[in-house]
Amino acid sequence: MKQRSIQLLISTGVLLLLLIWTHLFVLQQEQGANSTLIFWEFQVPRLLSALLAGAGLSLSGLLMQNLFQNPMAGPYVLGINSGASLLISLLILGAAPSFLNELSYVSAAMTGAFLAASFMFLVSKRVQNIQSLLVIGLMFASFTGAIESVLQSFAAPEQVKQLLIWNMGSLQQMSAAQAPWLGTIIIFGIATTLFLVKGLNAMVLGDAHALQLGIKVRQLKIVILFVTALLAGSITAYCGPIAFVGLAIPNLARALLKTQDHLLLILFSVVAGSFFLVAIDVLILLLDPWMSIPVNVLTAVIGAPYVAYLMLRQR
Amino acid sequence: MITIQQAQVGYQTTLIDIAQLALPAGQIYALIGRNGSGKSTLLQTLIGQLPLREGSISVGAFSLEELQINAALRAKQVSFVASMFTGVEALTLRAYVSLGRVPHLGAFGRLQAADIQFVDKVLQALNLSDLAQKDTRKLSDGERQLASLARAIVQDTPLMVLDEPASFLDYFNRELLLDQLQQWVQHKTERTAIFSSHDIDLCLQKGIPMLVLRQQKLTLLAKPTKQEVMALL
Repeated sequence: MKQRSIQLLISTGVLLLLLIWTHLFVLQQEQGANSTLIFWEFQVPRLLSALLAGAGLSLSGLLMQNLFQNPMAGPYVLGINSGASLLISLLILGAAPSFLNELSYVSAAMTGAFLAASFMFLVSKRVQNIQSLLVIGLMFASFTGAIESVLQSFAAPEQVKQLLIWNMGSLQQMSAAQAPWLGTIIIFGIATTLFLVKGLNAMVLGDAHALQLGIKVRQLKIVILFVTALLAGSITAYCGPIAFVGLAIPNLARALLKTQDHLLLILFSVVAGSFFLVAIDVLILLLDPWMSIPVNVLTAVIGAPYVAYLMLRQR
Repeated sequence: MITIQQAQVGYQTTLIDIAQLALPAGQIYALIGRNGSGKSTLLQTLIGQLPLREGSISVGAFSLEELQINAALRAKQVSFVASMFTGVEALTLRAYVSLGRVPHLGAFGRLQAADIQFVDKVLQALNLSDLAQKDTRKLSDGERQLASLARAIVQDTPLMVLDEPASFLDYFNRELLLDQLQQWVQHKTERTAIFSSHDIDLCLQKGIPMLVLRQQKLTLLAKPTKQEVMALL
């Protein structure tokens, strides 16, 4: 059982390496004087965006599903991206240009993500079933969307354009200088999560059981909320909202590995999340000569039917 | 040894009032009482989920208050078998039972060889070995109840509290449960088990000491007879 999980983990990892190679050296061969510059300034950051966003989003999904004790939870469906999005809009539209830097950008996104996650968590204590929670997440997203629209009507045209592009979600927005920032945050998030494994395993049975097994449930939940906001917020800041990865990949992990051992689930979610987004970007590159497809279109084409299937299976 | 002194148990109002009671270790105790007499409330208090309104209870060397504050310590002193748990996706019976080891594991939650052997032994004793890889959602209620007992045994605590642990068990498994519990308390270290039950006849037949709960009073019958129990209920 465990061996099969490790085999799956390693083979996904190997496939991921193959995809990375394809992404960097097969599909994007640049010739000419600027090829090195283009490689380091555009191709590598784009690949890193896919790797980091995939890993971080699917891990934050896994954490949220554990926190909400609900396999249908995820950063996008529960409006965590929307919270980040709203605060970023406020920042772009409201703050002086000199104030717009790396730190303010990322901290706005993370604050928004944390507020949204905490709000949804409080709501989840009142509604017990999955469907109601998802609907509330949806309402929350459209509410923040509406506020953003109102804000935009006060904004200058170039600000609006900047926001619109950002809101579509893209793996090509992050610059080479930004990559180390996002990389550090995501690695920190993954490392922190690894220290939560025991608690996450016990939480599978619910709060009362976990408490009886000696887990400091309240403390654990606060840490989960922070890490989720850190991951989902920072990714939203650099790549815009990217849908379905966080919901679909952890479910796939449980279905394939048939385990609730969160060490394996964390590792697999990280690798498979990266794999999924890099694969999507490879597809985008392949189709590039004919059409340019936004990343969210492809994640939705693959992710939405899978999520619908999961919902149907729940009944 | 469980020692209870001037304890008042209940949520908003006192449901049970115990002046003084000592339960020596190495025994299992059946908690008997009519519906709504407060059995579950008493058990919730014993596992540290519900604070005492008044008085004190000690479990071995620790007071209930200490255990309430320190979750990690409590998990090594008291285990609890709820009357029911619902299955979880992708959680096998073996993985569920192994969760009982959580209080004894490091931060990464890895089971050592000794933990795995211990789990194996307990699964075998409860005839659960063949079901080890079964999804907990697909188990019958009775199988789940035995799995709960296995999880508590694996947790290896001085006190085990069980809330109607036999409600879904057939006759043979009820006997198995009581035999296993009686074996479990016979140990070189002090062990005590308290379980609530409505199965008075079986408990009498096995000669199990009874704690009878009636109108706020808890009475210990070390060698109960049917007449005594019925008179108290």
